[in-house]
Amino acid sequence: MDPTITNAPAPTTGRTPSVFFTLYKLFLRTQVTRTRVISLVSLGVVGMLVAWGLGTTLRANPLVRGTDFVNLYGLSLLVPIVVLVFASSMFGDLRDDNTLVYLWLRPVSRIKLALAAALASLTVSWPLAVPPLVIGAALTGGGPTLVRATLLSATVVTVAYTGIFLALGLRVKRPLVWGLLYVFIWEGFIARGSFTAAKGAIRAYGSSILSSITGRTLVLADISLSWSIVVPLVAGVVGLAYTVLRLRRQDVA
Amino acid sequence: MIPVGGAVPDAVIEVDGVSKWFKDVVAVSDITCSIGWGVTALLGPNGAGKSTLFRLLCGLTTPSHGTVRVLGSDARRDVGLARHIGLVPQQETLFEPLTAFQFVRLAGVLHRVADADASARWALGIVELDPGDPRPLTTYSKGMRQRVKVAQALVHDPEVLFLDEPLTGLDPRQRLHMIDTIQRLGNAGKCVVVSSHVLEEVERFSARVLVIVKGRLAAEGDYHAIRDLMDDRPHRISVRTDDARGVATGLMAHAAAVGVEVLDTTTVLVETTDVTRFRHVIAVVARECDARLYEVNPLDDDLESVFRYLVGG
Repeated sequence: MDPTITNAPAPTTGRTPSVFFTLYKLFLRTQVTRTRVISLVSLGVVGMLVAWGLGTTLRANPLVRGTDFVNLYGLSLLVPIVVLVFASSMFGDLRDDNTLVYLWLRPVSRIKLALAAALASLTVSWPLAVPPLVIGAALTGGGPTLVRATLLSATVVTVAYTGIFLALGLRVKRPLVWGLLYVFIWEGFIARGSFTAAKGAIRAYGSSILSSITGRTLVLADISLSWSIVVPLVAGVVGLAYTVLRLRRQDVA
Repeated sequence: MIPVGGAVPDAVIEVDGVSKWFKDVVAVSDITCSIGWGVTALLGPNGAGKSTLFRLLCGLTTPSHGTVRVLGSDARRDVGLARHIGLVPQQETLFEPLTAFQFVRLAGVLHRVADADASARWALGIVELDPGDPRPLTTYSKGMRQRVKVAQALVHDPEVLFLDEPLTGLDPRQRLHMIDTIQRLGNAGKCVVVSSHVLEEVERFSARVLVIVKGRLAAEGDYHAIRDLMDDRPHRISVRTDDARGVATGLMAHAAAVGVEVLDTTTVLVETTDVTRFRHVIAVVARECDARLYEVNPLDDDLESVFRYLVGG
């Protein structure tokens, strides 16, 4: 082969690969690392073991026990951590290692970029967070009501966190640290002490869904079911929109 | 700024009064220039602002002041302009789990080239990399990465190419090949802007040079004219010998130096405006005064001194 500068391959009429699907595969390939998956699967397995332990040792009030488990372990720890790790890394890692330029300086719409990253994040974080939690809910003996509530609340907050942490990855350096501060300090402490701050805590909406369906009173769970579903979904979309905006305006190294 | 050479006909890139500052640090200061078809070298010491200027030209960052237009458009606002631009950035990191072929093909797909596979093979062929190499990029050496970066910039056959220090990490044979590739790209009618901090490299790239020092455009124009301009000033040469005083006297007697300073018993610092004549005379002088020459060392042929001269330092 003796390639010369002037004989670039001529255009063909074959079907070109989808840009969106190519980006989606790239995000999965580069961000879903073995270490991340093993660590987060372990977190899910630990949750299931704890749930199984609760289900076999404590017989009284399984619905209450199960709801508390899902709220304290699932919505407060497992789901936000899993989503944070993947969503924040989608653009955060590219920004940190300066490879974002290889996606940015292409004639690709920023909406497509952000959507591909969000879908890739959801593709990996939903199966790692929600099914283990649903299985855990079942193992506590809480019954189909708890399983249904867990599935809905965990899915809704997964979508919300995905949008928020995707934007965080593009906005700040060390998004993992900022994300952990949000999850543990804002949602874990500040939101509990202030009614207004609680409205900015995704966990409050997840807990409210759980509480509305199971009837168990939970901390922060004072939002109606419909608002508890709508607001996190809107937050996810706003996060996605902000990501698109940042992609348009942000300096790229 | 020292203008050397004429105006650029058919300007592809127009930079008008561009400055870029990061908080209190001025990275690029009030640069106005035009770049046409063919190869143009952006020359400057490390930290001069070359990479920042590249980022401004590609639209990767917005100017704090002034405007940049590439092919008549603002690269920052016109996403479609990326179709006509190829960039080799300075940073080494690539998408590490991918192979070279996958990485270059990815660029082709994102640029919507009709046959991304064929284009990736073509681009990798130009930089002499094997498209069938199954190894991930994480195993690649610095020089191989550099070539992959060039291939991804070429895959969509852009009209405008920005190559930020493209020879970094290449072995001597690959450097020659890359220089030849850059020249052929220029001869093929593309606008190629190449940054470098090595004067000798620039001479081989291109006749047209933009010299940037401390964020400012210090000189612009024909490389050889700039070189000639630099040759008009006295060159400083250090001569180590066993008879410094005798050599100094001989050089003055032969009018081969405009200034001579005996630093110690073995070292003479010579200033000459005619290096060729000096090289001839120094041997004659040494023979006449029976002196032994240990070292003849030009002190200011390095790039830093050239830049100092250009900015009048």
